[in-house]
Amino acid sequence: MAAVTLKNVVKRFGGFQIIHGADIDVNDGEFVVFVGPSGCGKSTLLRMIAGLEDISGGEIAIGGKVVNDVEPADRGIAMVFQSYALYPHMSVEQNLSFGLRMNGNPKADTERRVKRASEILRIAELMKRRPRQLSGGQRQRVAIGRAIVREPQVFLFDEPLSNLDAELRVQMRVEISRLHKELGVTMIYVTHDQTEAMTLADRIVVLNAGNIEQIGAPLDLYDDPANRFVAGFVGSPKMNFMAAKVVGNDDDAAVIELANHGGARLRKPLSGARPAVGADVVLGVRPEHFFEAGEGDCDIAVKADVAEHLGSVSYVYASAGTNVGAGPEELIIEREASRQRANGDHMVVSIKAGRSLLFDGTGARIR
Amino acid sequence: MSSRSSSKLGRSIALHLFLTPLALIWLFPLWMMVIFSTMPDRGIFSPSIELLPHGSFLDNVNNLQRGTNFIGAIGISVSVAVTYTFLSVLLTSMAGWALARYQFFGKGVVVAIILGTITLPYAVVLIPQFIMVARDFKLANTWVALIVPPLFNSLGVLFMRQSFSMMPGDLFDAARVEGVKEWRIFLFVALPLARPMLAALAIILFLASWNNYLWPLLINSKPGAMTAPVALGTLIGLTKVSWGGIMAGAVMLTVPMLVVFVLLQRHFVAGIAAGAIK
Amino acid sequence: MRYQNATAYRFLAPYLLIFSIFWLWPIINSFLISFQATRTVPWRFAPTFNWGRLIGDPAFFNALKNTLLILVIQVPVMITLAIVMAVLLNSPLLKARGLYRFAFFAPVVVGEVAYSAVFRLLFNLDYGIINKLLNSVGLPRIDWFSNVTPAMAVIMIAVTWRWAGYNAIILLAGLQSIPQDVYEAATLDRVSKLKQFFYITLPLLKPIIVFCAVLSIIGTMQLFTEPFLITERGGPGGGTETLGLLLYRQGFRSLNFGYASAIAYTMAGLAIAISLVQLWLTRDPK
Repeated sequence: MAAVTLKNVVKRFGGFQIIHGADIDVNDGEFVVFVGPSGCGKSTLLRMIAGLEDISGGEIAIGGKVVNDVEPADRGIAMVFQSYALYPHMSVEQNLSFGLRMNGNPKADTERRVKRASEILRIAELMKRRPRQLSGGQRQRVAIGRAIVREPQVFLFDEPLSNLDAELRVQMRVEISRLHKELGVTMIYVTHDQTEAMTLADRIVVLNAGNIEQIGAPLDLYDDPANRFVAGFVGSPKMNFMAAKVVGNDDDAAVIELANHGGARLRKPLSGARPAVGADVVLGVRPEHFFEAGEGDCDIAVKADVAEHLGSVSYVYASAGTNVGAGPEELIIEREASRQRANGDHMVVSIKAGRSLLFDGTGARIR
Repeated sequence: MSSRSSSKLGRSIALHLFLTPLALIWLFPLWMMVIFSTMPDRGIFSPSIELLPHGSFLDNVNNLQRGTNFIGAIGISVSVAVTYTFLSVLLTSMAGWALARYQFFGKGVVVAIILGTITLPYAVVLIPQFIMVARDFKLANTWVALIVPPLFNSLGVLFMRQSFSMMPGDLFDAARVEGVKEWRIFLFVALPLARPMLAALAIILFLASWNNYLWPLLINSKPGAMTAPVALGTLIGLTKVSWGGIMAGAVMLTVPMLVVFVLLQRHFVAGIAAGAIK
Repeated sequence: MRYQNATAYRFLAPYLLIFSIFWLWPIINSFLISFQATRTVPWRFAPTFNWGRLIGDPAFFNALKNTLLILVIQVPVMITLAIVMAVLLNSPLLKARGLYRFAFFAPVVVGEVAYSAVFRLLFNLDYGIINKLLNSVGLPRIDWFSNVTPAMAVIMIAVTWRWAGYNAIILLAGLQSIPQDVYEAATLDRVSKLKQFFYITLPLLKPIIVFCAVLSIIGTMQLFTEPFLITERGGPGGGTETLGLLLYRQGFRSLNFGYASAIAYTMAGLAIAISLVQLWLTRDPK
């Protein structure tokens, strides 16, 4: 078991910098998830930890030892790939033991490790099969089993569930969680799926375009995002962003006027520096944080275009006003389950100052 | 519906009416090769049209063998083709692997040179190759001369490069993370996965070596060192051996390949379709 | 990916060694030799010696003319035939597909010497089966190998027989990579099968057709064995002499390496020109 430390890690491809100095401390035994949209550099970062990509700048340490120039095999890591990367011409058993056999590990020890992994993952009855004879979920287990066999200090997962269907994904998510508790080792997990990140992680690292946007526990990111990107990325459906302008300022609050809602105003208490009067700002409200008319601090009128009924809740897709050059402002509003249809009906909902977030024009949070 | 199915039937009949004569014409030279090889010379020279086999194949083989040591030449051809195929598959798949799977200094240059020279006619190198092998290395009439120079063929490199780069890279990274050495990854992961491509390549290379004529004609012209096609070629147009004998030689060169073709048609077609060799 | 120079070159080294010695260096060397007078000892640098002779040599122009003539007639005929074969072999209506495939593809495995011998015998004046068949339907025999035109025809027929199936294999693979739903959509749009061929199949197949044509042109350009063996060293009277044969005679019969190299580089120049045409024909439309 080991901690993983990234210090100002940089990656360049040719003249192109794609990771701009990442600092991350993963504690011993912690489950950390790297999350971000595709192309944000999360997989590259993981592959740099694994040693499959060169490090252009900075330092990566595993268990206190700098591993920049250490071969992948000597870093004490094991990796589970998105495509599973099972050797198609070998049986499950051969897949599990291949690395150990190739490195001259004693036969008895190899057998013991393979047996243990097959028991942990409940794949003992599949040992003689070839990968193509397995279902997606079974392949995934074998891929994880191959990592367990190495008895690594750190597990690396590269989008391991993205090739599974929705139901299996939930099942394997629970399985991986269980595995983490059982083995108690450090795990670093890459995904583009914020639900996976929220459910699995002790801490989440949100990446965007090669920059770390925020590091924190799942609910901290949900409740207190550092910026508009994180606020929009964490939570499903996405947070709504409404154009607004600062129209007043006092000692402990700013008054903003929503641009697309007929001059509706909200007094937003703030603890930090107040934005200047006249500044363009953005108000973020999660779909689940709209209230019945009159229950909040500010009522707004919208046109309900479409309703989706999920059974437990309903989502109303609504619109209002016009943003400059961008069509009407679109909002997703969560309602209690209902059968109401939305055919352009007008609807009034309410916003609470305490259940909304304010961002400045650059996307930074105004607290 | 019935007008639809009857027009389909009409098209089907037209298709077969056109294709069947064409197929027969295409088979005709091969069929006649076999027929001639079974005929005594007076049969070949008779004014009648003979389209069915006779019984003189072994006589013709004997006649051929008296004129030139054809069986010995076939032995050379087989050995050369087997060795060449093995070496060429090994060299080109190693090179293809490196080009497909490693990032290294000079890679672009290597690929550019291979691609840039691939359409140059073989005739360009014929004379310098001959001077080098015969005069400088003094290797004329040896097996080395038959096997080694043709190994330059770069189509196999491109074919294997393509094959390896289509494999998922995660597979090799997984082995790397497990500490498997690169040459073992090549040997135990990459090559087994490339088996169908290797088979296609091997068949095409074997065929090319087996049928190779110009280079062996130039470099191994001494009677005891000739390959079978060269030995057979020397007889055409002379009266030393009967036409039946020459045809028996042609059959011995061709029929084994036809059998292999029928058995391994899939690999043949895959190899040719990939533009593996011409 | 990580830079792995040492590992990569360890895998590449054996091949690169052979490639450099037996391909790269000879390409350069051939060029150098073409500027030398090679029938003196030692060889002497004489830049215009071979090239000067080339532009005034009727034998060269005869061989060039014959080669181009074969190219211009044989390649289009063969490619057309190969397209027809491929399209028909791909038809879902075809029964006993394996037999037809065998018939057209089998020549691919036949060696040049073996089939040259057969064609020579088939077209023999007195006892060749072609003439016997012509006679039997009341047509006069043709003296195939004593006259230039029929001799050229035999060469072209032989080459077409040997290589049409080869090209059909490549074209068939190309046909099979065209998604079926394109044709289904066209059928729903009431486009006839024939129009589907001209407006869907041919345009989609164009890069492969061009590839086949280039491959065939470069192959035919080097034609050697057929005129060497079938028409007896380019007979009658040089009527079927090709550049390949001229190169052989100059290089290996007269041992005039310099002149042969100049001929070889003429062929290389043609090949490069053809490849450039291919690049231009298959360029991405802007």
